[in-house]
Amino acid sequence: MTSLTKDLGRKTTDTQNKVRPPKASGLQKSLRYVQENAILFLLGAPALILIFLFSYIPMMGTIIAFQDYSPRTMFLSPWVGFRNFRLLVESPIVVRLIVNTLSLNAMFIAATTFFSVLSALLLNEVRAIGFKRIAQSIMFLPFFMGWTIVAMVLFGLIDYQVGTINAIITKFGMERVIVTDKPELWPWILTTIRVWKGTGAGCIIYLAALVSIDPQLYEAAAIDGASRWQRMRFISLPTLTPVIILLVLLDIGRIFFGDFGMIYAVVGDKANLYATTDVIDTYLLRALRNNSNYGFSAAVGLLQSVLGFICIYGSNMIVKRYSQSRGEDYTLF
Amino acid sequence: MRESKSLGDRLFSLGSYVYLTIFMIFCLFPFWIMIVASFTKDIVLREDGYLPWARVWSIEAYKWVFKGSEIQTGYMVTIFVTVVGTLCSLFVMSGLAYLMAVKRFKGRNKVAFYIFFTMIFTPGLIPWFITVRNLLQLHDNIWALVFPMMVQPFWVFVLRNFFAALPSEILESAYMDGASDATILFKIVLPLSKPALATVGLFMAVAYWNEWFLGLMLLDFASFSPLSLIVLKMVNNLQSIQDAMKYPGVNINLGQIPTLGVRMATACITIGPIILAYPFVQRYFVKGLTMGAIKG
Repeated sequence: MTSLTKDLGRKTTDTQNKVRPPKASGLQKSLRYVQENAILFLLGAPALILIFLFSYIPMMGTIIAFQDYSPRTMFLSPWVGFRNFRLLVESPIVVRLIVNTLSLNAMFIAATTFFSVLSALLLNEVRAIGFKRIAQSIMFLPFFMGWTIVAMVLFGLIDYQVGTINAIITKFGMERVIVTDKPELWPWILTTIRVWKGTGAGCIIYLAALVSIDPQLYEAAAIDGASRWQRMRFISLPTLTPVIILLVLLDIGRIFFGDFGMIYAVVGDKANLYATTDVIDTYLLRALRNNSNYGFSAAVGLLQSVLGFICIYGSNMIVKRYSQSRGEDYTLF
Repeated sequence: MRESKSLGDRLFSLGSYVYLTIFMIFCLFPFWIMIVASFTKDIVLREDGYLPWARVWSIEAYKWVFKGSEIQTGYMVTIFVTVVGTLCSLFVMSGLAYLMAVKRFKGRNKVAFYIFFTMIFTPGLIPWFITVRNLLQLHDNIWALVFPMMVQPFWVFVLRNFFAALPSEILESAYMDGASDATILFKIVLPLSKPALATVGLFMAVAYWNEWFLGLMLLDFASFSPLSLIVLKMVNNLQSIQDAMKYPGVNINLGQIPTLGVRMATACITIGPIILAYPFVQRYFVKGLTMGAIKG
């Protein structure tokens, strides 16, 4: 026992303090710990391994941003230092990508928040339970549609030849609109889609906050002669304000991690729409599919990760401050 | 509550009903177009486009859709991926959540950070692609649609919070009585967590059902695609409709296929199961979203 303990790294202390009874070494302890909890660790292991494979290896793989990537050597390609980043700074495309990412996301956040709050406030005013329930269900339904279905529906609505909108306006003798030739329309189209898909889900959280309001508050206000508009404006809306602030802050934190598979699915690969719809994720997707310079694209990706990290960290700090000042904690970490 | 009946209040009330009704129509209109178009005769569609009402009704599009071999395989693939993916995902995520919920495990904060870090630092698409495709060689294989999205950090934390809120005396006394962690998890924790499992499972099921991105990235030479990817290919070109309509030994030219109706019919059968299940499971989704808001 003692010799084993000595071998396992506590040699100095054990030889120096011979009076003390031999203790189990750190390694031995942890071995016993692992043995005792083997089943516990086995239960957690598959998920930990999957996270390692699909998140941590790619995370380490971001080093290819500093390499001259070749498919044979993969993550061990020759180093080129900051060459890819110098190209990135010089490239006009990067500014466009970041501007599009931020402006589209800002539009999405503003529009979905506005419609979610408005819908929640008005749903809260509806007294007919049946109507309220049906309205909620119907508004929530689009949330479950995949982006490819959304893309299909959008094609059905705006296609030049057979789209519903063109079919209807030609019936009134107007000219067909070639929507895919008008990049300036697309931010609005994408925002509309976001509102369509996200409002029902968004208003659920606000409704939950509204339900917690004491009905006596409304009653007292009504007795004092407050109109329904005033009750909504001065009771419901102030209750929602902190929730709105928190959710918008969290959304801003995720501004670089938006669900941009959406844009790829919905817009497709239409070069004439890049000016307004090309964002970092769609650019990376295209780079992958065209087998273009992986090192450079990885540098763009790393830029996105870093900016995203800063955003999420910053917004979280603000959320923490804000919610602690109200005695709550809504933060991620 | 006593209602005051002033004119302003009535107008306000009317206004909210009008707004909500318009919003409902806005939400339903695309579904309406999709369903009507899928039941319209194709010649009419070619002439009129996708109108909100069909001049001539027909089920020809569905006949073609159900005959198409790629769509049949696609359905099978999607069902397999959804069922197997959701079950595996619940299994591994609850294992990990349990590891973090057990109080005697001292490293649970480290594990939480390990998971959490992947939520705030995403590695970017290119290294992910190289890892999955070239390093792990996970492509053109049905498991490529299952493994990469099996562990969702957010839902792991939701499950952990739920497990941690269970009365710890039960779990500890079971452990003292010599029950293994596996027994405790499967015999005590999971049966007590059915509502949380239902919520997380349903979100995962919808995610797997709608998944197209993994297919787009990782299935290049495979003879199968999930339904949602078939839909995407149909949006992007007509060629794949022809592919979808391949029959062994029979040659059909594209002109005969009711392509416009087939597109919408494929979309309809893709969302069909979700719409059918929706009324029964809606409340779990509502719960999931509010859970996420409290601590997300």
